[in-house]
Amino acid sequence: MTTRTTAARPRRNSEGGTLNVFSHGMLVVWALMVGMPLLWVLWSSFKSSGDILTSPWSLPGKLHFENWVNAWEKANIGKMFLNTLIVVGGSLTGTMVLGSMAGYVLARFQFPGNRLVYYLFVAGMSFPVFMLVIPLFFVLRDFPGVPLLATYQGLIAVYIAYSLPFTVFFMTAFFRTLPTSVAEAAMIDGASHARTFFQVMLPMAKPGLISVGIFNFLGQWNQYLLPMVLNQDEDKYVLTQGLANLALQQGYQGDWGGLMAGMMIAMLPVLLVYVIFQRQVQAGLTAGALK
Amino acid sequence: MRHGKYRFIVGFLALPLLLYGIFVISPFVQAFQISTTEWSGLRGTAKSVGLGNYGKLLHSDEFWNALKHNVVMLVLVPIVTLALGLFFAFMLNVGGRSRRGAVITGVRGATFYKFVYFFPQVISITIISVIWFNIYNPDPHDGMLNSLLGALGLDSLQSAWLGEGSVALACIMLVMVWANVGFYVVLFSAAMATIPRDIYEAALLDGAGRSQTFFRITLPLLWDTVQTGWVYMGIIAMDAFALVQIMSVNMGGPDGATDVVPLRLYLTAFRDSQFGYAAAMGVAMLVVTLLFAVLTMRFARRERIEY
Amino acid sequence: MGSTSEVGRRDLVKRAAALGILAVPAMGALSSCATGGGGGSQDGTKNKGATSAKNPLGVKNGVSLEAFIFKGGLGDQYAKDAEADYNKTYGTTVKHTGTQQIGPKLQPRFAGGNPPDLIDNSGADHLDMNTLSAQGQLQDLTALLDAPSIDDPKKKVRDTLYPSTIEKGQHKDTFDVFYYAFTVYGTWYSHKLLKDKGWAYPTSFDEMISLCAEIKKAGIAPWTYPGKYPYYVHFNVFAQIAKIGGLDKWIAIDNLEPGAWTSNDAVKQVIGHYEELAAKGYFLEGSQGLTHIQSQTAWTRGKAAFIPNGSWVENEAAPTTPADFDMAVGPLFNGGTGDKMPHGTLRAEPSEPFIVAKGGKNPLGGMELLRIMLSKKHAQNFATKVKSLTSVQGATDGMQLSPGLASAAKTVKEGGKNLLMIQLQEWYPKLTDEKLGGLTSQLLTGELKAAEWIKKAQQYADEVAKDSSVTKFHRAT
Repeated sequence: MTTRTTAARPRRNSEGGTLNVFSHGMLVVWALMVGMPLLWVLWSSFKSSGDILTSPWSLPGKLHFENWVNAWEKANIGKMFLNTLIVVGGSLTGTMVLGSMAGYVLARFQFPGNRLVYYLFVAGMSFPVFMLVIPLFFVLRDFPGVPLLATYQGLIAVYIAYSLPFTVFFMTAFFRTLPTSVAEAAMIDGASHARTFFQVMLPMAKPGLISVGIFNFLGQWNQYLLPMVLNQDEDKYVLTQGLANLALQQGYQGDWGGLMAGMMIAMLPVLLVYVIFQRQVQAGLTAGALK
Repeated sequence: MRHGKYRFIVGFLALPLLLYGIFVISPFVQAFQISTTEWSGLRGTAKSVGLGNYGKLLHSDEFWNALKHNVVMLVLVPIVTLALGLFFAFMLNVGGRSRRGAVITGVRGATFYKFVYFFPQVISITIISVIWFNIYNPDPHDGMLNSLLGALGLDSLQSAWLGEGSVALACIMLVMVWANVGFYVVLFSAAMATIPRDIYEAALLDGAGRSQTFFRITLPLLWDTVQTGWVYMGIIAMDAFALVQIMSVNMGGPDGATDVVPLRLYLTAFRDSQFGYAAAMGVAMLVVTLLFAVLTMRFARRERIEY
Repeated sequence: MGSTSEVGRRDLVKRAAALGILAVPAMGALSSCATGGGGGSQDGTKNKGATSAKNPLGVKNGVSLEAFIFKGGLGDQYAKDAEADYNKTYGTTVKHTGTQQIGPKLQPRFAGGNPPDLIDNSGADHLDMNTLSAQGQLQDLTALLDAPSIDDPKKKVRDTLYPSTIEKGQHKDTFDVFYYAFTVYGTWYSHKLLKDKGWAYPTSFDEMISLCAEIKKAGIAPWTYPGKYPYYVHFNVFAQIAKIGGLDKWIAIDNLEPGAWTSNDAVKQVIGHYEELAAKGYFLEGSQGLTHIQSQTAWTRGKAAFIPNGSWVENEAAPTTPADFDMAVGPLFNGGTGDKMPHGTLRAEPSEPFIVAKGGKNPLGGMELLRIMLSKKHAQNFATKVKSLTSVQGATDGMQLSPGLASAAKTVKEGGKNLLMIQLQEWYPKLTDEKLGGLTSQLLTGELKAAEWIKKAQQYADEVAKDSSVTKFHRAT
């Protein structure tokens, strides 16, 4: 914590003592509530199915490494991970570029229909995806020229479209809070609108972009229903689909050890990325919090 | 200049609007049309029934039961999640003892807590459901939660959890809270870190306690952030589908105790093949979500505190 | 149905999609056009080759075939084995998909006009076959029934099956669903546990109640059940009602006739029996929240003596079943002297529905693959691999069977002609699983009285009967 000292040393109110114990206790309890289940998955992934079901708290007596082998071989998790990276990588980039473009125009330019377009996007936040999937399927199948069903580009386009409402909503609000003077100065210097946007405004909006980017990443990473309906080629499976598949499969076959190992394999890379980049992730949220 | 401006506006809006129009707006409009038909989903005859499906909806106890649970979630889950998030964030940033000469400081290990609390955010909802399903295993000896309670001598608190109608919905809401608190701890922490220290110090000099500091300084200054979080949490609460589908007893049970509209919609469409009726539910969900959004925005119109 | 209409249709959909005004009735008409598209005939003989004694259906060599197999408790290896034989004979490689989500994956493909050829439509997320059949999406399988069987060319496939397989696979007058497996439902127990404790499998409700008291005294829960899926309890409840009250009265229930539940005294007796079991605390604590796997595990570990289940349980519970468990299934219990059906009656019926899509690329190949699966070799392979019976009569005779399967086969044999078939769950899953399931879960925790269960069951059945949007079925026998 970076706090600066001051000469004044005010007296701390004395309600601190017991409250502190209580509050700190809460912090510890919550940390356990979050940490324990994850550790449980880890150690269960080395246990036999019978042990997982009958003595959930026990440590593995013998390390069942075969669970991991089974999960890897049966579930094809590496391939699914790659698919997810491609789809989410593409759609995240697209969402951020298109979303901030639209947000910028809507925040900074008066034109007839501005409010209409804005509310059209914002209304999208409330569209339940369920009511859209069946018609959406036909739209993808019959799209002229480009195969969209069960393809990366199809999923990416759909993910972008479904992330736009929140992104536009957020970025519009964000651009409104940025000072207008810098952009005006750039325009006076003769820069075009587009140049002003890409060279001046976008860098200024970086905190907001990172912040909404994290929201979007989590949303797209966890998307379940859309790939289930639109991405039925097993070679193109994303992780959420594959994991649900795995969970169901183990439910039927009773291989809980394999399921736990599969979940670990799916979680580890993301956890690793988070451990390495936690500072950036948290800093990204700072930007969102600012405004 | 004017011409350039409009060309720019059109240029920037065209692609986002095109994608949005094709993949969101057009299915959306089609869904309305489906909701006025009796349609089995596959090829064949969709029979127009006008507003018949909506009339059916109004008189369906199942639907109102599910909707009631959505509303309960919509109210409780954001409140509890955001309250816990604020509390923890406050503890982590302002709640610590004075040390190292600093007046305002977080508790010891704040960085670690933030790090751990965020974990559930990076885990797929499928995994979360499977984990909690095991925690709630109702067997007094095999269940994680039950055996823990037993070991602590709290046998009387043991329950069938998801199998117990009176607590099942709360069990599912707890998972939603569990999964999302960390996000708001980090979010609010970041926001709190931007509050100038001298504001706190001035308050402390005036003799304000921690709770007073929280309610008179922290909360008002964070109000905008809380708002954003509220909208986001509301969306999550409306879509409890994955959790309820994977965890609940007898799909939304016991006896409808955890039913939510998205699940009802899914079953109506994919189990009962009544796509028209299901689409009508979708439209109803839309109405509720819109109501929520409007109310939130109303509520949000509060004066911002400048500093 | 040439290429022009295809282009025209695409154009229309494209424009409509862009404008967002695609009218649904139009879409229905358009996609029905799409399903027939692709230039093939619509009578399910697409890609027909020459017939011969070895190839009575006339499968064309080298034409691709796609199989979509439900990969649940039975796995999908048995199908892969049959596919391997198909590949050898017809010089192709069957495209195989094993999945738990048949419905969500295939619903769009049927709508899109490119369904796979052979589908094992099982599991919680299966396709609605009634709708498919009504829409003419399913291949009539009569040709398969009339084809010679693989093992004996003089014997038609039809004559190698349990008769109920043919009966159950009909929609109106068309035989278009082939139930490959034969499932035995009932009360499952560990023969060893009963033997060790000196208990006998009860023959009547009264014996069951008194035995439960003894079991409970011994520190074991008499019953457990998967409360997460309360319809498991219905396996026994429904069949028990039919056994005591007679099949005709159960058929009235299947047909949603008014007062069918309330006027049947057997309903009162059976539901009353479960009310008593609940009141006396004869269910394992926490059962109301257990999954099938969890309840089966509790049972294989000896925490509970009885469990309502189907014959797939042996395969599914294998990882936690002790070697000397000696799994067994017993017939339905006697209610009293007025029972309409004798002791030994049990519910045993065709299961694991296979369908061939008429709109697929190779419907004949789909049927041929089924014919291969119905050979003695593959029926036995099925029994060995997944410990379940097939619809092929006597296919397992003389085989060394696992304990559960042996017991199931024996119970079926002893049941003779008294094998019950229950349609209610297949026809109206929402009624049985969701509505009645909700009632049953309360009945078994003692929150609901038997009289209340019956009253509400009748009410729910009446609601379904009145609901015009639910497709109705009728059975005479």
